[in-house]
This record gives sequence, C-alpha cells and structure tokens, in this order.
Amino acid sequence: MTVFTDALREAASRRILAVGVIVSVLFIGLFWLAYAMGFSSLSGELDNPQDRVIGATIMTVLGLYAVQFLAAFLAILLSTGAVAAEIDSGRALAVLARPVSRRSWLAQRAAAFAGLAVVYVVVMTASVLAIANGIGGFAAIDPVRAIGLLVLEVVLLAVLGVALSTRLSAIAAGVVVVVGYGLAWLAGIIEFVAATLGNEGLERVGIGISLVLPSDALWRGASFYLQSPVVMLAGGVELPFASLEPPSPWLIAWSLGYLLVLALLAVRTLDRRDL
Amino acid sequence: MSTAGAPPLEAAGLHKRYGDRVAVEAIDLTIGPGEVVGLLGPNGAGKTTTVKMLLGLVRPDAGEARLFGLDAADPRSRRDVGYLPETFAQPEWATGVQVLASHARLVGLPSADRDATIDRVLHTVGLAGRGGDRVGGYSKGMRQRLGLAVALIGEPGLVVLDEPTSAMDPIGRREVRDVVRGLAAAGTAVLLNSHLLAEVEAVCDRIVVMHRGRVLADRAVASLPTGGEVRITADRLGPEHLAVMEGHGVLGHHDQRTAVVALDDGDALPEMVAALVGAGAALRGVVPLQSSLEELFVRLVDDDDLAAGRRPVPGGGGT
Repeated sequence: MTVFTDALREAASRRILAVGVIVSVLFIGLFWLAYAMGFSSLSGELDNPQDRVIGATIMTVLGLYAVQFLAAFLAILLSTGAVAAEIDSGRALAVLARPVSRRSWLAQRAAAFAGLAVVYVVVMTASVLAIANGIGGFAAIDPVRAIGLLVLEVVLLAVLGVALSTRLSAIAAGVVVVVGYGLAWLAGIIEFVAATLGNEGLERVGIGISLVLPSDALWRGASFYLQSPVVMLAGGVELPFASLEPPSPWLIAWSLGYLLVLALLAVRTLDRRDL
Repeated sequence: MSTAGAPPLEAAGLHKRYGDRVAVEAIDLTIGPGEVVGLLGPNGAGKTTTVKMLLGLVRPDAGEARLFGLDAADPRSRRDVGYLPETFAQPEWATGVQVLASHARLVGLPSADRDATIDRVLHTVGLAGRGGDRVGGYSKGMRQRLGLAVALIGEPGLVVLDEPTSAMDPIGRREVRDVVRGLAAAGTAVLLNSHLLAEVEAVCDRIVVMHRGRVLADRAVASLPTGGEVRITADRLGPEHLAVMEGHGVLGHHDQRTAVVALDDGDALPEMVAALVGAGAALRGVVPLQSSLEELFVRLVDDDDLAAGRRPVPGGGGT
C-alpha cells in the first residue's frame, strides 16, 4: 500500500486538488443559494405542486450535471499523469527498482487517483441531493443507483487516463481523454436531438459514438434515477442533458467490459515498455 | 528468496536494439560480493541502458540478467538492491525523511528499525539535520545525496549508482568515494556508472569500458599499467638530466626547472627517477599528468572508432 498512500499524498500536494476543493465548496455554496432563491421563486409563482416538483427536478439535475462535469475533469486531470509523468521525471525508476511489480505499482496509483475522484463524486452528489431535499423536499427515484453509475463514469475516465498514460505523455493523454469526453457529450446531444425529431438513423449514430466512450451514456443513465418519481409518473420533462429512460443493462455490461479491457491494456503496455 | 551462492549480479548476452540502432550488444558481466565495478564509456555508449536492463527496468531483446540468482524482471530479485538513477528525481512535495520512509516500506524494513536507519543513511550521505526539509527546497547536490541515501536504505547487497556525483561539488564527490569504499568493505557489491575516470580509478576493483553498445575491456584496476605522462620538477635540469629522460620516453616541453616526459613504459618511472637522482638532479616533484585509466579509455575508444571508420586516422589526411 506504500505506492497507494504516496499517490494520495502526491495528489494532495498538487494544486489541482486544492483548486478542486475550493471550487467545489464555492459550487455547493452557490448551489445552495441559487436553489433556495429558485425554489422560493417557484413556490411564489406556481400554484400546482407538480410544477414545483418539476422545477426542483430541473434545478437538481442541472446541479448534478455540473457535479459530474467537475468530477469527470478531476478524474482526467489526476489520472493522465499517473504513469507518464512519473516515468518521464525519473521518479518511477527508483520505485520500480524496488521489489514492486509494475502491475502492482500501476494498480495502486490508478486506485488512488480513481478513488479520489470517486470520493469526490459521492460527496458532491450527496451534498447536492441533501440541499435539494432540505430546501425543496426533493426526492430522487434511486440516489444509490445514480451514484453507482456516476462512480462507474469517473472510474472509467480515470482508468482511461491511466491506460493512455502508460503509452502517451501526460499532456497527450489528457488531450485524448478530454476530446473523447467531448465526443461522448456530443453523442448524447445527437441522441437527444434525434429522439426529438424521431430520426432513428441519427439516433443510432449517437449511440455508436457514445459506445466509443460511454461516459455521457452513464451520466444519462444516472440522470434517470436522479429525477423525481412524481415527474416521471407525469411523463417526465425532456432535458437535453438528461434521460427519461433507465440505463440499459447492456450499457452497464459494456462499460464494465470497457473498464476491464482498459485495465488489461494498461498492464500489458506498462509491462512491455522500457522505463 | 535469492539463490544461495549466486553472485549479486550476472548478465549474459544482453542485447538491446531501438529501431535500427543497436544500443547494447552482447554484454556479459558478473559482480561478486564486495566487488566494486566501474562502468565507463563516452556518451551514448549504452551504459545507462545496460544498467536499466540489469535492474529489469528495460527489457532486453536477448540475453538475461540475474540479481542474486533471480531473473531481473522478477521483482523479488530486487529485494536486496539499491539504485541511484541518473535522473534522481524525488517528489518535490515530500521531505527527505518521507522519501526515505517510503523506500524503507518498499524494501520491507521493519517499522521499528526505520527511524534509526533513516537517520543513519542521512548521516552517511551528509544530509543529517536536513531530512525534515522538503525535497523542493533541496539543491541539486542535496537531491543527489538523497538519491544515494535511498539507494542505501535497507543495507542492500548490491548498489547500482548511475552517475552518482554528477551534481556534487568536490567535497561531495570525495564523500561518495568514501561511501563506496565503506560499502565494499561491508561486502556490498557496487556497480558504478560514471564519466569521472579519476573517481572510478580511485574506488573500483574492476573497470568495464563500453563503446557503441559493446564491451571493449573488462579488467582489474590493479592490472592497469602505471605511468603515462609525468612532469619532473627539479632545482636545475641540465642536458645530462634531459638525456636520462629521453632514454625513458619522449621529452616534451622543458626548461631549466621542469620537463614533461611521456614514458615508453609506465612501470619504468621509478627507474628513471633513480637515474635522475644518480645523475645529480635535486628533484622537487614527480607528478603524473594523465592517469593510466584515462590513457586506456581514450585509446580503446579511439581504436574502436578508427576500426569503425568513425574518426579520421591521425595524420592520414582523412576527410
């Protein structure tokens, strides 16, 4: 566990984590303020309780969309230097000349960085849901499943970053993951537009792109469970960044398989490369 | 876990190629307990690649390296190995003690022994009292000393030092020489990769000269011929003294008090000095100007380059 604890200390020493914590605390504060003001305004303007729940759902999902965005970037920024930066700087040499296998070193570092992103997304999601519940009495369909899917999303991004980092420089790996994340987001928008227009061909294109990196698909799966059951029973509210359908079991299976393949590729690449 | 009686380090037929370029070719090397071996060679000779292959950090294309009888690719083989890489980077955020504590855990040092061990190695490398400082505040020389301390953690049976004094001042270099001598006296095998011939000559039992990925020479330092160029200083050097010198080598620059002689046979220096004294010279100094190792090194590398047509033959009018 030495490599794991050192990686945690290393992450704690980096500005990215400190900045992330500050930004997150600010975000939670602003979300609380905005939610309180927004809900107060909704309560004053809307007589129908269902409309108020719809408003609360939209505000909550928006807040959690921002949370998954922050968590995704934290996972990317932490992970893409996990291997490359250590090897390029020479820090990995002294450690890997010890009785430490490369795969153990890789697994411990990946677990540390992915673990931080997981803690982050769990704490932030729980905080946003707690604020929504405390102010507006908002209750999601299944917060635990939603958090599980968000955890899978950030772990997937972190492992992708680590895997690319075994072959590419930290910057190159970061660019690839950010572009992939952007493409996945675009695929989600394409799917939404295609579904709105009833264009099945375009929808298949969106699904195909989202399989390349299922991060946005996982978020959309989570977003289903994060909405109010009251809203869903009423037919739901169509939002471009959320889904009215629960995630397919195939998506979960695909994501887990994707994760496994990435991990195996990362181990294989690091095992074979010269340090 | 190591194989009983196996040497700390043995390599046979190590070969490494990067694309079309052969980085290391057919390297055989064995280092016994308490032996200090210097790895010499010009830049790009393949020394660092060899060192990394010996430690399982670079995968050889052919051949094998074994540490204490185990394949170097097996992490267990490195249980008793200390390594100072040429790029001795350490985490900037950590203190020296934290870096050492981390390596103490990696080598499985019992927690009860850690503090005392860390204090001892910090003292050994001249960082006593600075272990609590952050690495980010260390000078380059201090970072290299910390890297050396990392290599010494756990009292390894084999220590591999890749350019251990490149960032150090002369005092630091002398201290490293003392550390290496102390390791050898304690039975630790040392592989010293260095550009500094005087450093290698001063502490090594054996030298291995590499050039263009191959071993050009592997010999005991004690077997190297002594001598080379010497500067003779006397109260007065007359024609009779210059004649004595010319009888033992080629006379270079000289005046009434000093003369430089390139000896034909380095071992004949005592004989020449005796002859000069016999001829009435009041000698004030006899100073070797070039080490025998330096001569050997330059000759081996030059000959290899000439054989490969990489350097014009002196006086040959080559282009």
